[in-house]
Amino acid sequence: MAVAHQHHETPKAGTPPPFWTIARRDSLAGFLFIAPQLIGIITFVLVPLGLVFWYSLHEWNVLANTFTFTGSQNYRMVLEDTNLLEVLGATTIFSVGLVVLNLSLALLLAVLLNQKLAGIAVFRALFFSPVVVSLVAWTIVWGFLLQKNGGINGMLLMVGIEGPNWLREDVTAMISVIVVQVFKNVGLNMILFLAALQGVPKELYEAARIDGAPAFKQFRRITLPLISPTILLTSIITIVGSLQVFAQIAVLTQGGPGLSTTVLVYYLYQQAFQFDYFGYGSTLSILLFVIVAVLTFAQWQMRKRIVFYEN
Amino acid sequence: MKTDLSPRLRVALYGLMCVLLIPFVFPTWWMVTSSIKPISDIFAFPPQLIPQNYDWTTYSKVFELQPFVQQYWNSAYIAAVVTIGTMVVSSMAGYAFARIRFPYADTIFMIVLLGLLIPSEVTIVPLFQMFLKAGMVNTHWPLILVPIFGAPSVFVTFVMRQFFVTLPAELEEAARVDGLGRFKIFRKIALPLAKPALASVAIFTFLHSWNLFLEPIVFLSSADKFTLPQALTQYTDAYGGPMWNIQLAAATLTALPVLIVFIIAQKQFVEGLAHTGLKG
Amino acid sequence: MAQVTLSEIRKSYGSVNVIHGVDLQINDGEFVVLVGPSGCGKSTLLRMIAGLETITGGTLDIGGRIVNDLDPKDRDIAMVFQSYALYPHMTAATNMGFSLEHRGGSKAEIEERVNWAAGILGLEALLDRYPRQLSGGQRQRVAMGRAIVRNPQVFLFDEPLSNLDAKLRVVMRGEIKSLHQKLKTTTVYVTHDQVEAMTMADRIVVLNRGRVEQIGAPLDLYDRPANRFVAGFIGSPSMNFIEGTITAEGFATAGLTVPLPIKAQSHVGGPAILGIRPEHLRLDPAGIRAEVLLVEPMGAETQVTMLLGNTQVIGVFRERVDLSPDTVINVMPDVAAIHLFDTDGGQRLD
Repeated sequence: MAVAHQHHETPKAGTPPPFWTIARRDSLAGFLFIAPQLIGIITFVLVPLGLVFWYSLHEWNVLANTFTFTGSQNYRMVLEDTNLLEVLGATTIFSVGLVVLNLSLALLLAVLLNQKLAGIAVFRALFFSPVVVSLVAWTIVWGFLLQKNGGINGMLLMVGIEGPNWLREDVTAMISVIVVQVFKNVGLNMILFLAALQGVPKELYEAARIDGAPAFKQFRRITLPLISPTILLTSIITIVGSLQVFAQIAVLTQGGPGLSTTVLVYYLYQQAFQFDYFGYGSTLSILLFVIVAVLTFAQWQMRKRIVFYEN
Repeated sequence: MKTDLSPRLRVALYGLMCVLLIPFVFPTWWMVTSSIKPISDIFAFPPQLIPQNYDWTTYSKVFELQPFVQQYWNSAYIAAVVTIGTMVVSSMAGYAFARIRFPYADTIFMIVLLGLLIPSEVTIVPLFQMFLKAGMVNTHWPLILVPIFGAPSVFVTFVMRQFFVTLPAELEEAARVDGLGRFKIFRKIALPLAKPALASVAIFTFLHSWNLFLEPIVFLSSADKFTLPQALTQYTDAYGGPMWNIQLAAATLTALPVLIVFIIAQKQFVEGLAHTGLKG
Repeated sequence: MAQVTLSEIRKSYGSVNVIHGVDLQINDGEFVVLVGPSGCGKSTLLRMIAGLETITGGTLDIGGRIVNDLDPKDRDIAMVFQSYALYPHMTAATNMGFSLEHRGGSKAEIEERVNWAAGILGLEALLDRYPRQLSGGQRQRVAMGRAIVRNPQVFLFDEPLSNLDAKLRVVMRGEIKSLHQKLKTTTVYVTHDQVEAMTMADRIVVLNRGRVEQIGAPLDLYDRPANRFVAGFIGSPSMNFIEGTITAEGFATAGLTVPLPIKAQSHVGGPAILGIRPEHLRLDPAGIRAEVLLVEPMGAETQVTMLLGNTQVIGVFRERVDLSPDTVINVMPDVAAIHLFDTDGGQRLD
């Protein structure tokens, strides 16, 4: 490098440009700054992702300690696994129910909290408080409340209603796990929506009032379009999050009754770690990955059509 | 939206919010009060919203049946280490992606963002095998290393990058003229200004680690290694049914400290989250 | 104190050239202003001197050292930024002393320097405040204080007054100038405002599209602009330009004839552009017919937009003329102040 430069016009002071130019030093700094994260991602995400695909092509018998290449056999099993069909159905109901309920409740709460009312900060903190309550503690107390002779049925009985055995019947078990999860985390989306609502310029509402638009129309034509980027973002986070829900199922229903609340992550866990089917468990992991990737990609594509406004 | 409300509407809104609050607040109340009721009262009818009798021995059983202090410590120190580690790794990476021009930065950023698409549930099987080979199963290493370096930290890196992008470039240029190198600019200028963003991602990193459930039950097998979420579910009778009063007491001990911190610092929790570029 | 020499300085981003070879010699203690429209490359040039942008070609010499590949910190320069770039989390005093901290100054030494700078800038009472507690003018002064504490060889200013309101701008303009007279440090100052350039500079460098159009003392640029661009850029309101032909009788345009100085006779016959500043037109019954379009009284003077032949021109008159649109007046140019430029390159004809 230095030699090549000497053939050019040499600067007056005769100093060849140093190898460590400003740009080179900055590049080095950049690499050093990202190195821990990059190495971490390779070690704990990309290599495992490669491995999970490799495992999915094998039959892995833990007891006999055999690891045989079987090609697409696990994938054929996915297609033939009738339980899996039920699992995917439960996953869909769980995720759709969770997202719809979570986003609409979050939006409602955000609109309420956006009103000029005294003591609104206290309400905001209380609605948010389950987010900071330990997840399993929250789930345990709900499990306790939802027992056949638990607090909820006790209160229902006081007004003369005999409640179901919430966690032991198909439909109510699913409703229960959804609702418990919604109340736990809706505070996060609520705060994001609230911030978005407060980001809508006041002048727009004033202009709309001068134009004579009634409140509900202001909400539909001004508020919703302007907070649509937040709606999209929260829906992506919530959907991907719903596919990761595990503790609640494990504590409340263990996937039951039957398979009615066995979502994909729980099924994966059972197959891999309870039944030691690591090969098939890995195939289910790939399925989970594909679902997450497709959903994220689809929502990203919808950005252009649904999001009316972005800065 | 923000117009002055009529008194009747005000009352209606307060009423609506109070009703909506029930499922958010009542479970915590029920958990705390039931944990101090004698076992005979916890399923009493009509339900006792305020305990009639007290039985504090439940709390001593929490500590007798399991090494609960040890488990508490496990959860606390793991969450603390994960939080500090994630702050270091992610603020550095986020800063570099936002501020330093280096070759392939965009490509590397896309690779790192892939982590967002791959929740750790997807890779739990190979991670288990890897840690098994490394002799780290039934140690806390997986619960520390994976969150700091793996998928969970990617989100933090992304949030930090979004924050650092908004820092005025002239501030750093002034620092360069003032004689600072890259690392000092990061330490003395960028990082101090990122305090609010760091504080709120720290809160959520801590809670994420504090709440982990799948990873502990996959990786840990002896009671003295357990973390709290896992330990809570272990208070069961001979038939595997939950010992409700003890579970509730342990749950109260788990939830209350964080709740108290939250009550003291709720403004930072809530507003930090709202203003930290999570908006996209 | 140092001399700054730019030889054949070039800058390109990929295949896009933004600075096309600038040669400039800035003398020790001189106050040089780089001026030009936005996008002309003046800030890029300044940032290359600072070391914040890499230099694609040419050499940059500060105080006898080639500094092309040196970090900003090793160039012994100080810079005042457009946004001031004060560190929000440090007090005024810490902001000012920050660079010294990183050059291994002792605490007492730093304090002494900061107090010295604060004394010069009248900041003594504000040293413990944070930037958010300071007004625009005060922030500006702290930014200058940060630059002078180090006693650098060169000061660089990047549009430092553009965030201030009009009144404060005039005040700070005076302060920067008197600071320079006190310290006599070589200064390079970037602005898009030709009034700032005229009032502050020892020499002005007019830049346009990455090239130097002219270098000279403010009044030289005003009196003898080298080309049509400089003529139009320096002076406010801008110089009027009229297209026409140089004839033996004078300058012919749209049926009118404007008298010319004798020296213009050497260019007789060719098409040309005549330039005349608004302040060099006066009302004269013997002058050229012009149709009034718009009258803007400013108090001290009156600015009149009129149609001269088929060209719109502006005149600035000291007298209070009471005119209304569509009336016809007669104006006479100050013949000695007429400039002629060729039609192709816009170069000055002499």
